[in-house]
Amino acid sequence: MAHRWAMVIDLDRCTGCETCMAACHAENNIATVDAKQAARGRAMHWIHVERYWEGEFPNVRARFQPVLCQQCDAAPCEPVCPTYAAYHNEDGLNAQVYNRCIGTRYCANACPYTARYFNWWNPVWDKPLQLQLNPDVSVREAGIMEKCTFCNQRIVATEIQAKAENREVQDGEVKPACVQSCPTTAMVFGDLDDPNSQVSRLARSMRATTLLSELGTNPKVIYLERESSHGND
Amino acid sequence: MKRRTFLKLSAVGGAGAALAGCGHQAEQLIRFIPDETLIPGVATWKSGVCAQCSAGCGMQVRVMQGDAEVFRDGQFGVVKMGLAKKLAGNPDHPVSRGKLCVRGEAGLQVTFNPDRIKHPLKRTGLRGAGQFTQISWDEAVQELLAHLQPLAAPQAAVSLAFLTRPLGGQRGVLVERFLSGFDGARLVPFELFDDAVLRTANRRSFGYEQLPTFDLAHCSYVISFGADFLGTWNSPVAQSVGYGTLRQNRSGIRGKFVQVEPRMSQTGANADEWVAAHPGTEGLLALGIAHVLLKEHFGHAEATGSAGMQIDGWREGLPEYSPEAIAWKTGVAPETTTRLAHEIAAQSPALAVVGGAPLAHTNGMFTALAVNALNALLDSVGKPGGLQFTPRPPLSTSGSAQDISEEGKVDSIRTLAQQILSGQRPIELLLLYEANPVFATPPGWQVREALEKVPFIASFGTFIDETSRLADLILPDHSSLESWIDAAPESGAAEAVISVAPPAMRPLHDTRALPDLLLDLARRLGGRTRQALPWKSYEEMLQAALAPLAHHPGSVSAKDSDEFWKKVQEQGGWWSTDASLVPKAKAPADSSRPMKNQEPQFAGPAAEYPFYFLPYASQPFFDGRHANLPWMQEMPEVLSTGMWGTWVEINARTAATLQIEQGDLLEVASPNGKVRAPALLSPGIAPDVIAMPAGQGHEDYGRYASGRGANPIKILAPQVEPTTGSLAWAGTRVNITKVGKGELVLLTGGPTEWGAEKVTR
Ligand code: SF4
Ligand code: SF4
Repeated sequence: MAHRWAMVIDLDRCTGCETCMAACHAENNIATVDAKQAARGRAMHWIHVERYWEGEFPNVRARFQPVLCQQCDAAPCEPVCPTYAAYHNEDGLNAQVYNRCIGTRYCANACPYTARYFNWWNPVWDKPLQLQLNPDVSVREAGIMEKCTFCNQRIVATEIQAKAENREVQDGEVKPACVQSCPTTAMVFGDLDDPNSQVSRLARSMRATTLLSELGTNPKVIYLERESSHGND
Repeated sequence: MKRRTFLKLSAVGGAGAALAGCGHQAEQLIRFIPDETLIPGVATWKSGVCAQCSAGCGMQVRVMQGDAEVFRDGQFGVVKMGLAKKLAGNPDHPVSRGKLCVRGEAGLQVTFNPDRIKHPLKRTGLRGAGQFTQISWDEAVQELLAHLQPLAAPQAAVSLAFLTRPLGGQRGVLVERFLSGFDGARLVPFELFDDAVLRTANRRSFGYEQLPTFDLAHCSYVISFGADFLGTWNSPVAQSVGYGTLRQNRSGIRGKFVQVEPRMSQTGANADEWVAAHPGTEGLLALGIAHVLLKEHFGHAEATGSAGMQIDGWREGLPEYSPEAIAWKTGVAPETTTRLAHEIAAQSPALAVVGGAPLAHTNGMFTALAVNALNALLDSVGKPGGLQFTPRPPLSTSGSAQDISEEGKVDSIRTLAQQILSGQRPIELLLLYEANPVFATPPGWQVREALEKVPFIASFGTFIDETSRLADLILPDHSSLESWIDAAPESGAAEAVISVAPPAMRPLHDTRALPDLLLDLARRLGGRTRQALPWKSYEEMLQAALAPLAHHPGSVSAKDSDEFWKKVQEQGGWWSTDASLVPKAKAPADSSRPMKNQEPQFAGPAAEYPFYFLPYASQPFFDGRHANLPWMQEMPEVLSTGMWGTWVEINARTAATLQIEQGDLLEVASPNGKVRAPALLSPGIAPDVIAMPAGQGHEDYGRYASGRGANPIKILAPQVEPTTGSLAWAGTRVNITKVGKGELVLLTGGPTEWGAEKVTR
């Protein structure tokens, strides 16, 4: 049965701890570039935490927002790909077929969320760091575009397991690495087609928004806005 | 688990032979038959314990079969073995509750680090030159024994010291017992960001020499004085889990959170209100709030027990601490102090937290006692939504290395260095384990100079760093994923917890687990040491220590001791379900007199050194121990978004006045030294404060960390908090000079982003 996988991120819970980022690196075999490449903006973080400053000292605040591929329903990255490497799968995910990718980088230019990362070089894991690589996730080479997959390998594994046990996937059963790791449970993952799933319920919250919604990309990452309990405002 | 049993050497196959020839004759690749029951491609989750800090979070380790080049029985070869692929929190564990922190997630890169010490080493060059040669374990053990034996003789005139990171759990007990066989042996635990001030204050105020556990999930109002409790302090995972519920999850209730600190930390960035009190005045603000509460008859001074009595003038209602009287010192407007007091009074349960920089001043003890008194007034101690002290598990041997401090066998690194340099205490042999004081103490403590005078240093650590570089002999430990591992979390859970896990994978290199090595040494030494450590293996010692728990109501029920032990391993430890197991409070010391306000002392005259200097625990590196992990180097510190380096945080307005731009290379000078790093302009720091993250500036710590960034600890004055002797790392003043252009590696740009509109709509 098809699903509409989606993620809700509660910005009132997110503390900017970056556990999700480290978990994503470990799960998805994301390469570390190096200081020089990072300085050129080539560090690869499928999920990263944006920080926005507001105000001036002493009335200053910082806000955090984890940003990953927004898994848009109307994804600007897909139509620009000449080789159909970026496509929509039956679960509504924006998938990336690595061996179709020829590295035009059109998709990265089209993505308004700068959620796509290009491999400028072949990844390097100084021995024996390569022993940690997750065999469930392919390693990308130079010239390939990559991005967050909602941990598709975990989705597939859970679906296969459920099928083998002749049952439906339970709500909350699929946990992408970031969701699994988040200490404050700021992130929730599930099926938007199931009106009773936790993501569906949270997506109906008064605080629900999407990133750059005016662009009409219909993201499947839904943010719940941070609240404030101000004493002095 | 016996390593030997797994070594079933097969004939050298054609494939193996073809793979041979990585240059080394000895490194011929040989295929071993695996005895793993792992199915290729299928993952198993095993229990684990995070060893990245002292919090003792319970983990799960995802293990899958893979081919690894390893060392077995004197030979290199390729084996099929279980390899750790991913770490995650153990959902059943009362501290981690299924979660880890960012540094915990990166623990994999310790085990698979290319810079691990892979076999025993002996120094060849001059001490500190970093030249070593490979030796066998037999040679290494013989050599160490030759140095230990004379010291084990009764009444030996010279002695040994064991310098280590703070060891919780049975590892700590083992080391302590090992040392009991040597007259005059000293245990020297060292950690840069230690919490000795708070532990001591908690003993005086509440009777527990322990870090507190917070019930954030049931709290309505939190005021934190400088504690980075969502990032690097105390038990950050447990605290983050509670924080999620503090904010959302309780219908109609969203707890308010106020942070007091002069530089916005990751934790402070989440506060509803951020109050930049002047450094070292946090205790005054706490008492200002208490003054208002007492005046308005919220709570009774008399009902606060010894916590209130620690503060001079408490009974009288703190007449010297009115919001007006403290305002000029704290920089906090009287209206703000009064309003905070009113908010706290209106929102129960309320909780005050203190940790980090406020306690790293010369008046840190006063600050800690002041916040403790405020908590007592708020009646938050031992209450839902308040703070409590985690009970100790009823083990058969004492569970904590701290317990022996009362016997007077524990020294600080500062004392040890002084004693060595003055010739007061002859230390013949220094045993070193994963502590790096040469990197993380101010030069004025002369730790390096002192260690250089020790005739023989043997190190058990996994990496060469600035301290282990001085070793004469290195007997490398397994990684924590390759060893029996345990921890007795001091805080983070309401119930008594012990985290225990068997090795998640077999060792990659020719290393030996420290506990088993010490047991082996004890066996060979005989005498008192052997009597103190009768166990054949560390597993046996752990099993014996935990045996009494089988009779306590807890997370494991079993029909016999074997089943109990098996289940403990599967579960990753044991935790109590016995509500009657309340912690035993030691009677507060009545000898300590009530404290008066004390001004913090800063090294460096203000005229010459106009800025307060604030080194802080780094999100990816903590105190520097994680700087050798490539994931952590490329992890952007969340507020600055800085990667792969160090920076100097300066208030944007101050910078403009001094014509300093983002990325300018600054020289930061204290009376004790200078460091250079690029300027990072921030709106989240007071105009008279300069901050730098700790953790970089390693001279020798593997390929990812060496020669990168700057070490702010190296310019600190040797100031201490006088009652504990802890480093007052926030007690130095500095000046800054622009000396050129520097290089900042940021994930997202700095000043241009300010005032950015919220992106969500
Ligand atoms: S792990 Fe959770 S709390 Fe931490 S940065 Fe990611 S989303 Fe935020
Ligand atoms: S707080 Fe982080 S580093 Fe410390 S034990 Fe827990 S997961 Fe590990």
